[in-house]
Amino acid sequence: MSDQTEKNSASCHGEQSVALEEHNPVIALVGVPNSGKTTLFNSLTGSNFKTSNYPGATVEYSAGNLISKIGFKSYVIDTPGIVSLNASSPDEEVTINGLFNHYKYGIPDIIISTADCTQLSRQLFLVKQLIDAGLNVIVAVTMNDLLENKGLELDSEKLSGLLGCPVIKVNSRKSVGIVELGLEAKKMFEDSLLTNFQAKVSRPKHPDENSIAKLYDFTEETERAVIRSKSKEIDIQAINEKIFKNINRKPDANSLKLDKFFLHPVWGMVIFVIAMGLIFTSIFWLARPIMDLIDSGFSNLSEAVSLILPQHTWYNDLITKGIIKGFGSVMTFLPQIVILFIYLGLLEDSGYLSRAAMLIDKPLSKFGLNGRSFVPMISGYACAIPAIMAARTIPNRRERYLTIMIIPLMSCSARVPVYALLLAFLVPPDKPWLAGLGLGALYLFSLISGSLVAAVISKFKKSDEKSTFMLELPAYRKPVLRHILKNAYHKSSVYVKQAGPIIVFISLILWALTYFPDIHPDISKDRTNGLNEQQIERLTESDRLNHSYAAKLGGIFEPVLKPLGWDWRIGVSLISAFAAREVFVSSMAITFSITDADDNDENLQKSMLTSMREAKQFGTDKPLFTIASTLALIIYFVFAMQCLSTVAVARKETGSWRIPLLQIVVYTTMAYVLSLITYNGLRLIGVS
Amino acid sequence: MDSLAAIKTVADMKIGESAVITTVGDDCIDIHCHCLRLMELGFTPGQEVTLVAKSPFKDPLAVSVRGTVIALRRNEAECIKI
Repeated sequence: MSDQTEKNSASCHGEQSVALEEHNPVIALVGVPNSGKTTLFNSLTGSNFKTSNYPGATVEYSAGNLISKIGFKSYVIDTPGIVSLNASSPDEEVTINGLFNHYKYGIPDIIISTADCTQLSRQLFLVKQLIDAGLNVIVAVTMNDLLENKGLELDSEKLSGLLGCPVIKVNSRKSVGIVELGLEAKKMFEDSLLTNFQAKVSRPKHPDENSIAKLYDFTEETERAVIRSKSKEIDIQAINEKIFKNINRKPDANSLKLDKFFLHPVWGMVIFVIAMGLIFTSIFWLARPIMDLIDSGFSNLSEAVSLILPQHTWYNDLITKGIIKGFGSVMTFLPQIVILFIYLGLLEDSGYLSRAAMLIDKPLSKFGLNGRSFVPMISGYACAIPAIMAARTIPNRRERYLTIMIIPLMSCSARVPVYALLLAFLVPPDKPWLAGLGLGALYLFSLISGSLVAAVISKFKKSDEKSTFMLELPAYRKPVLRHILKNAYHKSSVYVKQAGPIIVFISLILWALTYFPDIHPDISKDRTNGLNEQQIERLTESDRLNHSYAAKLGGIFEPVLKPLGWDWRIGVSLISAFAAREVFVSSMAITFSITDADDNDENLQKSMLTSMREAKQFGTDKPLFTIASTLALIIYFVFAMQCLSTVAVARKETGSWRIPLLQIVVYTTMAYVLSLITYNGLRLIGVS
Repeated sequence: MDSLAAIKTVADMKIGESAVITTVGDDCIDIHCHCLRLMELGFTPGQEVTLVAKSPFKDPLAVSVRGTVIALRRNEAECIKI
C-alpha cells in the first residue's frame, strides 16, 4: 500500500486537484447506513473491487471500476455510511474528509447519494447537505419495492426539480436503473468539465439545533410533495395526506411483526442464544472436513516434493518443512474464516445483526464494551485476525481499542488442537465425554476472563469520550447470496494477505532454528533394533532437534519454565507455537520423538499420549506431565499472547504499538503467573 | 425532583405507545450529551415517535421515527422530551 501514502498538504481545493495525478473520473457512493449503498456498489462494479484503508486510519472503503457496458471509464468508491456531514466519531471524520479532500482523488467528480424512499425525510437530510456543499450529486432512490408495498410511490421528476439534481430510481437486486445511473453520471461528468465546480465546494459548518430543524423542514416538505398514492385515480390531496401520515411515517410492517419475536424481552433473548449457539458450533463442524482436507493436501504435497528433490539436503527440508508447511498453516484456517464471514454477511444483510447488538449492549456496557463489540468478540472464537478487523465498526475509539485488547483472549480455533491433546491426557480413556465438557468450560472461561480484563481496564482508565449506542434497526430483507459470497471471498483474501506473510515468515525462522546447525546424528545400532525405516527417520529427526538452536533457546528458557513443571522440550514447542498455536501439537510430536510411524491421526495421538506419560522430569524418574503441569499448560494457552499475526494486525488496526505491546506484556505475564499458581497450588493441595 | 417528574421522555414510554417530541436536549444535565446527533438522526421536535421494543434489560430501547427504527440507550432516550 506504499503507493497510497502520498501526502497532500495543499490547503486550497483548486490547487490540490492540479497536484493530483491523472486518473479516471471518480464516482463516490455516499449514503446513510442501510440505505442500500453497498448493494448498489456491487451492481455498479460487477465482480471487480478491492478494499483499501484511508492512510493512517482504519476506515475502510471499497473501490472498483464501473461496469463496462455503460461505456464510461470511471472508478467507483464505496464510502462507509454516514448520517450527516457533521462527524460524530473519528472514523466518520475520516470518511467526510475523503469527500472534500480525498488523499488520492481530491474532490470526487460525481457523488451518487443513495436515499431509501421509505424514510425519505431522514435520508434527504444528508442528500441536501451534499448538494448544498456544492458537490456534483445524483440521487439514487432505493427500496422502491418496500414503498410500493405500502401502496405508495415516489415521483422522481418532481424530486429532481425540488432538489435541483438528477434523481434515478434503482433496484440493485433486479438491476433496474443501474445503466441509467451510470449514463447520468457520464453526462454529468462531461457537463462538469466546462465548469470548475471544485472551486465552489465547501464543507458545511458545524450545525446547531436551528440549522438541523431548518434542514428537516425542507426534507419533510419535499417528502410530502413527491410521495403519492400508487393508484392514480383516487389521488386526491386530502386522502394523500391521510395515507401519508398514517402509512409512510410507519416503519416496514413486516419488520415490526418480526421484531415482536426477535426483540421480545424473553423470546428475543432465547432466539439470540440459540442462533448464536447454532452458528458457533456449525462453524466448527462445517469447517472441520474441509480443514482436514487442506491439511492432508499440504502433507501430501510436502511428501511428494520431498521425494522429487535430492534427499537430505537443506533446501529439500526448507521447501517441504518450512515453506509448504508455512503455507499449509495459513490455509488450514481459511475454511473457518470464510464460513464465519458468510454467516456474518447473512446476519448483516438480513437485518438481524443490529438487533443482536442491541440485545447484548447492556451486559457488554457493564464491562466498558459496546453492543457493537459483539460481532468482533464472536468472530474471535474463529480467529483473532478477522475479529480485530471487524472492530472497525465501533465508533467510540476507546471501546474499539478495548474490544481489540480482549479479542486475543477469546478461545480461537487454533487453540482447539492444543486443548484436545492436553485434555485427552488428563481425562481417563473410558470417559471421553469429559474432554468435550472441558472444552466447553474453556470456551466459557475465555469469555469470562475476557470480560473481566475489559472491566478491570475500563475501571483503571476512565475516559471523557462518552459511550453512545445509536444504531438503526433496518427493515428485515432477504439477503442476496451472490453479494455475501463475494464479500466473504473478499474479506478472506484480506486475511490471507495480512496474516499469510507473517505466518510463513515465522514458519521459516522456526524452520531455521530447528534445522541448524545441521548436525547428522549418529544413531547407535541398539537404539534402532526392531524399528522400521520410518521410525528410525523420526528418531534421527528428534535427535537433530535436540541439538538444534531451538533446543538451545529452549534450554535458555528452562530455568523460567522449571517452576511451572515444564522442561526445554515444552519450551521449544511453546516457541514454535508463535507461528500459530496449533503448531504446538506437531512440535510436541517432534520434541518427544514420537516413533509411531502411522499417519493415522488417532494412532498419532495415542502414541503422543504414551510418550507424554513416559516423559521424565529433569533427569529424574518423576513424570514430566502430571495433572498439575498439564493443567498449567492449558491455563498458559488460555491467556498467552501466542500469535504473532494477531500482534501485527492489532498494530495495523490501532495505528500504534501501544495496544499490541500491552497485549504481549499483560497476557504473557498473566499466563505465566496463573500457570505458576495453578501448578504450585495444585501441588500444595496434593494434586501432583 | 417534583419539577423533573413532570417532564416525560421517550425513556418513560410503554411498548406500543406513541407520542410527539416536544424538545430534544434543552436542559440536559449531561454536558457530553449527543443531542445534536439525535436530531440529525431524525428526532426533531414535532415528530411522532413510537416505542417499538425494549431489550431484556430494559436498555437499549427501539424507537421508531420517520419511517425507521433506531435503537437508543436509555440515557440517550431521556434527552428526547415528549
